[in-house]
Amino acid sequence: MGKLNFIGRMSTIVCLSAGITVGGHVAANAEDIVIWGGFPELQGYYERVAESMKSTHPDLNVIVEPIGLRDHEKRVALALSSGLDETTVFELIGSTANRYIVNDLLPSAPANVAGFVNNAANFEPFFQEVAAVDGKVYGVPIFRGQGALFYNTDMFAAAGLDGPPKTMAEYTEYAKKLTQRDASGNPTVSGWSLRLSGGGGGIAEKFWINLHQFGGSLLEKAGDGYKASYANDAGLAALRQYVEAVSGDKTVTVEMPADAAAFQREQTAMFIRESWVIGDTAKKAPNLNYKTALLPRGSIALPVNLYVAGGSEKAQKAAWEFAIEANKPEHLIWMLDNVGWLPNRSGVDYSSVTTAKPQFSAFVDLPDDYAFFTLPSIEPINEILTRFAAKLTEAYADSSLVGNDAAMMAVLEESAAETNKILDRAGILGK
Amino acid sequence: MTVSSNTRSRRKNLLLDMMLFVICVLLLLPLLLLIANGFKTPQEILVWPPTILPKDPTLENFQRVFSETPLFRWIFNSLSFALLSMIAIVITSTLAGYVVAKFQFWTINVIFTLFLATAIIPFEVYMIPLYFQVKALGALNSIGGLLIGYLVMSFGIFLIRQNVIATVPDELIEAARIDGAGEFWIFWHIVVPLLKGPIAALSVLAFFQAWTTFAWPIVVLTRKTAFTIEVGLANFQSAYTVDLALLSAASAAVMVPSVLVFVLLRRSFVEGIAASGMKE
Amino acid sequence: MSSALVAAPNSNLEGKDKVSRKKRFWFAIIAILPTFAIFGWVRMFPIAETLRLSLFEWNLLSRNKPFVGLENFRELFQDDQFLDAIINTAAIAFGAMAVTIPVSMVLAAVIYHRTRSRFAGFYETAVFIPHVVSLVPAAMAWKWVFDAKLGPLNRLIVAFGGEAQPWLFDPVLSVICIILLVSWQTLGYGVLIYLVGFRNLPKSVYEAARLDGANGVQSFFFMSVPLLKPITLYVSVVTLISGFNVYAQAFILASDTQGAPGRLVRVLVLDMLENSFQNFRVGYAAAEAVILLVIVLVLTGVQFGLLRQRGRK
Repeated sequence: MGKLNFIGRMSTIVCLSAGITVGGHVAANAEDIVIWGGFPELQGYYERVAESMKSTHPDLNVIVEPIGLRDHEKRVALALSSGLDETTVFELIGSTANRYIVNDLLPSAPANVAGFVNNAANFEPFFQEVAAVDGKVYGVPIFRGQGALFYNTDMFAAAGLDGPPKTMAEYTEYAKKLTQRDASGNPTVSGWSLRLSGGGGGIAEKFWINLHQFGGSLLEKAGDGYKASYANDAGLAALRQYVEAVSGDKTVTVEMPADAAAFQREQTAMFIRESWVIGDTAKKAPNLNYKTALLPRGSIALPVNLYVAGGSEKAQKAAWEFAIEANKPEHLIWMLDNVGWLPNRSGVDYSSVTTAKPQFSAFVDLPDDYAFFTLPSIEPINEILTRFAAKLTEAYADSSLVGNDAAMMAVLEESAAETNKILDRAGILGK
Repeated sequence: MTVSSNTRSRRKNLLLDMMLFVICVLLLLPLLLLIANGFKTPQEILVWPPTILPKDPTLENFQRVFSETPLFRWIFNSLSFALLSMIAIVITSTLAGYVVAKFQFWTINVIFTLFLATAIIPFEVYMIPLYFQVKALGALNSIGGLLIGYLVMSFGIFLIRQNVIATVPDELIEAARIDGAGEFWIFWHIVVPLLKGPIAALSVLAFFQAWTTFAWPIVVLTRKTAFTIEVGLANFQSAYTVDLALLSAASAAVMVPSVLVFVLLRRSFVEGIAASGMKE
Repeated sequence: MSSALVAAPNSNLEGKDKVSRKKRFWFAIIAILPTFAIFGWVRMFPIAETLRLSLFEWNLLSRNKPFVGLENFRELFQDDQFLDAIINTAAIAFGAMAVTIPVSMVLAAVIYHRTRSRFAGFYETAVFIPHVVSLVPAAMAWKWVFDAKLGPLNRLIVAFGGEAQPWLFDPVLSVICIILLVSWQTLGYGVLIYLVGFRNLPKSVYEAARLDGANGVQSFFFMSVPLLKPITLYVSVVTLISGFNVYAQAFILASDTQGAPGRLVRVLVLDMLENSFQNFRVGYAAAEAVILLVIVLVLTGVQFGLLRQRGRK
């Protein structure tokens, strides 16, 4: 019975090893705080903040545990709904945190923290609003995702263009000039890389960014609720631009490589993306010549805040102090420089970074009328985006829509009806 | 056997070997690319189409993986978890699989149907109530908590059942009963020896099921030191990008223990079958 | 052990039979009880708990969990995404099964035939390893294989005079891509199981067949295939059920990391996970799980019916 002996031998080894593993796991003590993030690239930043707290809190033990965004959101949902044992600092997008707050699963910030957040010298009203619910502060703003145009200066020069496009009409015009084609006319390098396929709501989010440049919005406030607001001229203009690009001018195709990787490989001349692309490009394509530019009207801004829950009062106090410490200018400058996410705190001098890496200036040096929008904090937001994305993917690939405004409008109207149905079901459809 | 038929069969075998070789290489091709990726610089990994062999091979990814992450710790955690789960599953499945194959009572049939039906619902879907159960036990972040989800395996019971049906004749069991053998004696001394092959296959499947599982450990384990390999690997993906070079290096490194375990288990079951070669 | 091997004539005395039947019943119950108890605790209870939710509306967090009866089901049957997901998932499950069963059976037969070859270990390992490798980095390689412009698959097709296809973007082809990826992963599983089956087949039967002049191919079709029916039932049920559980493959082939997006093939589990963790509609997702359970139970029943066998006599 060689087999059974083998199992016997293995089980001895395992029982020994399991003993060690379980024994090695130490229960959390009062001075432990755990940082849960959805952006693994920020690990170094949080460790740095923890390090600088060492002098004032010698006993404090900060455990930084980031994991990919999707998995992070799942574990937060499970942990918060089943009760927390240890003090945890949560890194959450404002619209995501909202649902935990309205269900009483995240406590509001203590007075001193609320004072820090509400201080006009620290944060712009936009960020204060996202950190609060019904005027009460729950989170500490930290960084945000924000878009800008990235463009390849070599390709622009080769096409005889000496600056970035300034209007949406110019985007189309530039894309035509920038597209490189093979002998049979098929594009080999896209003029303007658009998000045309892939998983989830990202497609709709990117559409929204373009729609915003035409003065439109996916959803608008109506009374106490929301309603779809893209079945109109702005929506049509945005969709028309996509359809023309794919099936009319063929400046980009669905199958072409896209996004940051395509830009870094010089397979596209320009695209709209967040600031992390700068750090990523420095690592993967350090010799790429590119610049960034403001978008014609404004950008999406997805603010991420820090929230605290669970554990002893003493540890919670330390956790809130951590959230404030994380907003120290030196740490924020380090984050912008080394990670590439944009800090939210005002009054910090980022010029040392923007001089060395001028690409950041289109993210931090903004005109006063630059218009931001963000995803509304409503429960079905993801469902709305995902379902609209499915409709958009089909429309982008449908060459029969070229030049047919009525058909495009029909697509938008059908989607808008679906969006409104979802809002209605959630009880938040405005009239 | 004549000489000509001997050479003909040898030629035929050579042909079969060549065919198998080509198939194996085709199946391994994506993995070869993965391993090659582990040796590439971040710039080269971006090249499209990918280079098969790294132009400028570097060990930096491997160095970074081993210095920046507790990879050995993760491998150790995965190994303990997978072995414990394997043992639990082999025991529960062999007993239950034999019973559902050879004991035709309606109660037992209903139980078997229930076993199999639970395999239809994806784990990810009922993970939420299970998580609450494990949390109530205070078993988060421990091998024990992980194991709770992996003590039994519907397909394991089913596998043993089918193999009992295929290879254990009723007459053998009847004969033993007539000789006055107890039911447990029959199971241990007659059935188990005939099932060495299937049990070994089950060990392989159970081990690697635990080794590769992701959905359950990612919610039960929140401490980096308690991670299993698959959860650890997820850390190389940031919100919008994947550090493909690092991820590939780590995956390639992890393939070493995987292959080792498979070869070890395989050797033990091939030998096990050879030893039980009494079945003519 | 030797005494047990001596075949004794069947002595069927009514009373004795009843006693031994009772004894056997109790052995069966006691032997299965621990496993059943664990199953009850870690599988049946949480599953029942989940399925119960299909009659409720719940957002995962709220204490408020209104009973809605069959409302979730009514809505499901008008949900394009869900219907789309059912069709895709069924196509993937049946496609993967149709590839896995014959290919793994033949491969196992050939590997078994070459057991004495010094490469036997290599063959088995090579076929099995795709089953255990981490999906994300492996899928990156597959995306390259399927790439519309530069992928080796299209190059091969063009070299043979065909036309390059947008593998990851066409609604039908993208499903085929997932079937190929899934089959690549499950092939090793099937081969492993069939190899055990081949090794357990009685050698005497083959010996007799060979003496009767049957060649390898004949004995494969007329001996192995029928004798391996219980194993084929196992492999077909397992591949079908796991086919219906597919989601990571679909998600990864569509993800746009590394700048190579693909069409998202919506599958059932993906839809369920999205509904519970992103749309926060746990009850609705549970209703999908109920439908999945019903469909697959029926299909499995059909498989058992088609491949019905009695114990070997």
